Amino acid sequence: MKEQVIAFELNGEKVETYTDPALSLLHLLRSRFNLLGTKEGCGRGECGACTVLVDGRAVNSCLVPAGKVRGRKVYTIEGVTAEGLLRGAKVHPLQEAFVESGAVQCGFCTPGMVMSTYALLNDNPSPSPEEVREAISGNLCRCSGYKQIEEAVLEAAQRLKAQDWQDRNSGKT
Amino acid sequence: MPAIKKAEPVIRKGRSGSAVNQDPDVWAKITGKAVYGTDLYFPGMLYGKILRSPHPHARIKRIDTAGAYAVPGVRSVLTAGDISNKSYGIVVEDEQPLAHNRARYIGDEVAAVAAVDEESASKALEAIKIEYEPLPAIFDPTEALLDEAVQIHNNCPGNIAWERDMERGEPERAFAGADLVVENEFSIPSVHPTYLEPIACVAVSDYMENLTIYTALQSPDVVREIIAEALELPLSKVRIIGPVMGGGFGGRVYGNLKLYLLSSLLSMHTGSSVKMRLTREEEFTVGRPMIAARMKVRMALRRDGTFLARESDIITDNGAYSAQAPWVSKTLSERNDSVYRIPNIKTRARLVYTNKVPTAQYRGYGNQAANFAYESLIDQAAQKLSLDPLHLRLKNCTRAGDVTVHGLDIKSCALSECLQKAAEKVGWNNRKEGCGYGISAGIHASGSLVANKDFRGASARAVLELDGRMTVYTGEQEYGQGAYGAFVQIAARTLGLEPQLLTIYCRDTLVTPYSQGALANRQTTIGGRAVQLAAEELKKLIEEAASEMTGEPVKMIGGSLAAVSGKLIRFDEVARYHHHRTSGLTLAGEGCYVPPPSKYDETSYGNISVTYSFAAHAAEVKVDRETGALTVHRIVAVHDSGHIVNPPGARGQIYGGVTQGLGFGCYEGYVFDRGKVANSSLADYRIPTALDVPRIDYHFIEINDPEGPFGAKGLGEVVQVPVPGAIANAVADATGVRVTNLPITAEKIYRTMFKGECDG
Repeated sequence: MKEQVIAFELNGEKVETYTDPALSLLHLLRSRFNLLGTKEGCGRGECGACTVLVDGRAVNSCLVPAGKVRGRKVYTIEGVTAEGLLRGAKVHPLQEAFVESGAVQCGFCTPGMVMSTYALLNDNPSPSPEEVREAISGNLCRCSGYKQIEEAVLEAAQRLKAQDWQDRNSGKT
Repeated sequence: MPAIKKAEPVIRKGRSGSAVNQDPDVWAKITGKAVYGTDLYFPGMLYGKILRSPHPHARIKRIDTAGAYAVPGVRSVLTAGDISNKSYGIVVEDEQPLAHNRARYIGDEVAAVAAVDEESASKALEAIKIEYEPLPAIFDPTEALLDEAVQIHNNCPGNIAWERDMERGEPERAFAGADLVVENEFSIPSVHPTYLEPIACVAVSDYMENLTIYTALQSPDVVREIIAEALELPLSKVRIIGPVMGGGFGGRVYGNLKLYLLSSLLSMHTGSSVKMRLTREEEFTVGRPMIAARMKVRMALRRDGTFLARESDIITDNGAYSAQAPWVSKTLSERNDSVYRIPNIKTRARLVYTNKVPTAQYRGYGNQAANFAYESLIDQAAQKLSLDPLHLRLKNCTRAGDVTVHGLDIKSCALSECLQKAAEKVGWNNRKEGCGYGISAGIHASGSLVANKDFRGASARAVLELDGRMTVYTGEQEYGQGAYGAFVQIAARTLGLEPQLLTIYCRDTLVTPYSQGALANRQTTIGGRAVQLAAEELKKLIEEAASEMTGEPVKMIGGSLAAVSGKLIRFDEVARYHHHRTSGLTLAGEGCYVPPPSKYDETSYGNISVTYSFAAHAAEVKVDRETGALTVHRIVAVHDSGHIVNPPGARGQIYGGVTQGLGFGCYEGYVFDRGKVANSSLADYRIPTALDVPRIDYHFIEINDPEGPFGAKGLGEVVQVPVPGAIANAVADATGVRVTNLPITAEKIYRTMFKGECDG
């Protein structure tokens, strides 16, 4: 397809790029914006490693054409990391809880897991264990058995509430 | 004062352990900054792609690459005729970088191209013209054994890649004198390790004939040797540097040699760096799954339940090329004989070529596949003898001090305690109405002595840095399983230091000590022991240098250096002193752990491992009596892995390993349609999701092993071994019928319950 100008908000910044609107958002992020934290595990929407938020909703970026994010807010693992830094923390409390719960092993699913559960906690600050499992059911992990991830998210929910952490950039409505 | 003021992470203690997992990459991983093979980029880099055979078996009559060279951006097109194409292999030398004259499976590598981007490389593949003459193909290993079967490899009559006839004791006499003989046939499909990051690499060759390959491997030093030999390069010219590894589970012990060889050849041809990566579909269709197996097994018992003998006829499906399949077949065909005291064994095992995806290995190395069969058969015997399956196992299980039927020297073993604890925790004698209960026991080698009989151990280097911190150089590999966490704990304990003062340096074959790699449950036991010895040596060197510096005896106690006069010395002072005195050397302790040689003989009798890990798992399941739908409620995993040195890492191994065992038992398995992989996507090849994982309870029986560092033994592989068998036995307990082929799906349970069949 012919290249077009596509303007959108990426991790809280306005950006503009000239690209084929049929290119996947995954490849746009990785090749054009050098945001390599979003991973490709299958390229077919089956593993969740490429999960990002579009207007606050978790989506598989490999299935989203670049043209579809025009005028919308895209939020990636790099945005979550920056959010932690801007608040004077080393990382976001959700990321911190992942590390402390032993929820990070090989780490390849981790950015996608963080994005899916970030979206969950925005919508539902006090999820049940079942709701956490449901939220990550589209994210495959081969190392952990998911238990530590579930524990991390429940722990993060407590910390976010205790710290009154407000998200400003992800596009939550 | 650091140059940049940054918030320090508040490290709270892990809930279940004494320390958090100290994977040095963990912060890079959680922030999305970790660099995996697929993320690598080099200036001027080209992208490589592979043209693959669409036929399961065909003669390659003609290849025309002119069209490919005409595609703009194409820099190299290679076919078998363009390269020396030397044969290579891990056990059998049955592969070449590119198929020459004959393609032997759907996916066989026929040509490789390098271009300025992936799109141009793909276009070039389409422009290559190949004339094939299809040949008769064989998909079933039993058909491959028939006299009239077409020969898949010229030098391999009968299509047998490897075989073994083994007899211990007097099995025939034992069968003749038995009170009970039970028998059955089991089948286990090929499974893929399904690490989440598809394999990727970048090969960089230069004009001085140096070749550096950037890729994550479990055994980079071994792969480096294979590559140097296959490409006829001096070994010292080949270097492998590892990015972060996106999962391995055995699949990255040798990774995808074809990909490394072809990217190297393209790089040598073009003088540019060349990146190649497998798609997820390629992972399934040309990546290396573990062998499928068919097992005909018989077992003889005395009326009181004493195991007398076992006989097995095993056929494993090799696919088109062999890789490690002979070794996996060997483990599959004998390891379970050492779980119990079985004095008489007869086994025939044959590994057979077929025109399907080549195979390799997966966590558990076939041990879990055979465990399913043998543990199912033990329950059949218990039922016939009206004995409790738990008591039957306790009566026969291997104990410390045993030398097993294959000569394994069991120095420490808490298997009977594992069985009792697993039964107690699952509620063996306090069963829930409508549920089925099953138990299974397993053994796994922890640190192989026989993979290379002359190279049995590991080495490590511990260095005192000029600032007083210490670095441990290791050739072992971390991929989130907790090896480096364990090493830091071991070194810190040996030196009496806080773990924060230690750094691990790894993943560069030029710099790090040679290692056999992350396999055979050997990281903690053997690699950890080398770290311990290196740290001890460094401690000695530091004390000597400090004594020389101060002119009075100095001892390192509780993390401090103290002279007899009471004077305290800083580590950086000693480091500087030595550095100045030697004009630049650093204090470096080298440690090598060389386990005693094994008397392992040509019949494969003898000790094969430094030590052995044991486990018993119990499963509680529910089966819908109308539909066959299976719900696994709970897995109780009880382990003897000796002393647990890194509790959070161990917990991760338990949850992850049991979940993979659940996948192996209930979900996974290759499906073929005339040689083509029919389930080559993550939608069709289903691995467990967060919604599938049952409650997992675990318990460690911590007895100290005399060999392992601080009494530790391996855990990563044994954890998967008993799971499929425990689930199979629980399903049989719930339904009264037995599913004999994995995976145990609702459909198979239904057919077995209502149609008395189980043909998969």
